[in-house]
Amino acid sequence: MKNKNGIANLYLVLVFVVLYAPIFYLMYYSFNSGGTMHKFEGFTLDYYREVLQDTRLIIIVINTLVIALLSSAIATLLAVIGALAIQRSRSRRSKNALLSLNNVLIVSPDVIIGASFLILFTIAGIKLGFTSVLLSHVAFSVPIAVLMILPHLQEMSPTLTDAARDLGASRLNVLTKVILPIIKPGIFSGFFMALTYSLDDFAVTFFVTGNGYSTLSVEIYSRARQGVSLSINALSTLIFLFTILLVIGYYFLNQRKSRPAGAVAEPAAEAGVPR
Amino acid sequence: MKQLVNAFLAILLVAFGLMFLGSRLNSAEGYTGGNTLTIYNWGDYIDPDLLEQFEKETGITVIYQTFDSNEAMLTKVEQGGTVFDVVVPSDYAIAKMREENLLLPLDHSKIPNLANIDSRFMDLSFDPGNKYSVPYFWGTVGIIYNPEMTGDIDFSSWDSLWDSRLNNNIFLVDGAREVMGMALNSLHYSVNDTNEEHLQEALSKLNKLSPNVKAIVGDEIKMLLANEEAAVGIVWSGDASEIMDENDKLDYVVPEEGSNKWFDNMVIPQTAANVEGAHKFIDFMLRPEVAAQNAEYVGYSTPNVPALALLPEDISGDERFYPPAAITDRLEVYDNLGKRMLAHYNELFLKFKMNKK
Repeated sequence: MKNKNGIANLYLVLVFVVLYAPIFYLMYYSFNSGGTMHKFEGFTLDYYREVLQDTRLIIIVINTLVIALLSSAIATLLAVIGALAIQRSRSRRSKNALLSLNNVLIVSPDVIIGASFLILFTIAGIKLGFTSVLLSHVAFSVPIAVLMILPHLQEMSPTLTDAARDLGASRLNVLTKVILPIIKPGIFSGFFMALTYSLDDFAVTFFVTGNGYSTLSVEIYSRARQGVSLSINALSTLIFLFTILLVIGYYFLNQRKSRPAGAVAEPAAEAGVPR
Repeated sequence: MKQLVNAFLAILLVAFGLMFLGSRLNSAEGYTGGNTLTIYNWGDYIDPDLLEQFEKETGITVIYQTFDSNEAMLTKVEQGGTVFDVVVPSDYAIAKMREENLLLPLDHSKIPNLANIDSRFMDLSFDPGNKYSVPYFWGTVGIIYNPEMTGDIDFSSWDSLWDSRLNNNIFLVDGAREVMGMALNSLHYSVNDTNEEHLQEALSKLNKLSPNVKAIVGDEIKMLLANEEAAVGIVWSGDASEIMDENDKLDYVVPEEGSNKWFDNMVIPQTAANVEGAHKFIDFMLRPEVAAQNAEYVGYSTPNVPALALLPEDISGDERFYPPAAITDRLEVYDNLGKRMLAHYNELFLKFKMNKK
């Protein structure tokens, strides 16, 4: 029994090594004074200095974050409404049809979505730039967020809403006090999925950027033609550390809340809802 | 519910905070002012200090955007929706853009520094009279090889590639024009040959090369060659200089029979908003000091004659990248062969690839 566990652990360690090795490799060479990723010559912070001094790059990073945050927030909002609509639809057939339409958007290739957005925006006379990137990111994030929220809605027992209605809750009360708290984990995971999708999307974004507006993935991709400069390594390291901090922060937030006698008191209306 | 609303508000707050910060940075850099010039160039294909210098001199703010392939650039320019003032496409893309009326004719009186360009690189088939384009960088297609692995094979002729000692030791770049052109050159035909018999001859000669070819690859050819995965590669000179930067054992040669020479040229698209500024920028880039500084930074060959004199001897004297006129005269630019002939080239190249297994 113990042996079996050992193998399983070894496997797990191996998987994590494979997953993280390239990232650490990249981070390691961001300190290389040699300028290439072949031989480590000496320690330097030059590339970090270069990144921090490159205003254009910093503006691009800010653009990327703004787009990611705004688009995933809007997309999650729309997805909640969409998921509720799909769940409410009476006939099984229309429900399936809506779900399939949602899934088609997830599996259809990014290049096609990007190209069609480009055509749409130019026909509609929307100038390429912030608006076009935001709209397209919202659009491709909604189906993902819907998919994260729906299972939570389906798991929810219908008796809960019935009971709430019987006890005299209004439609709005049922939504805000019963349904939303129950699907909250789904909403958050939908938001974070949308966030990561938006942060690293290249194919769609490439088509809809323009007029001096760019995001990180597009910028790095076009810089890579000349071989990836180590300042990109430095930037990636910074972003990686930032994400780690976010994840750790999220973890501690959750830890505190899941303690039995939590510091955060649950509102009375939510107290009765099973988690 | 409260938590959801709070989270939502917090996200919006952070987003708008960042947006404010971004716009502050933008206006500090002057990107939001009226007097701007948008340049669309290959990634990392200009010395950023030069952009700053240009901004200081003219008071024009430069917005610099990048692309990674001619095709991607063409899509963006054709589709519209975004305004570019100066674009830097390659030769065949310029021919295509000219055909589709995407370019603005240049006012040569506003580009006095055009006189600095070597006459060998002017008035070429993709733009007769340089009506629409001005050379930016140029290069060749040739053989890069690792003397330690190839021994005493002399690569001054394309025929050396067929040497049986190179079995499974050659990387080819994945381009129909490059590979077909190489085969045509080795038979002493033009890279633009359209004679069916010659093309078939080239194909059968290529098929004989198959045992020597290890793989036909894209951009990763640079990494593979630098890591010594094979002894020989057919590459563009720009790639060659990068590979040699990473691994100085390698050497580059343009075979005697002839080869292709390529150009990246500056053009002004029809949709340009700041035509005056675009001319100023083109003239600025043609200044000898500027061209020399840029060539040193990017590492490609400059077509600017007085700039050559300003470059360090070990760059300008390097005949691998600045071949003497005797060689460049034998090099040819790819003509626009038309859709049908190009398709035929692709088909022949595909036949070769399938035959290779």
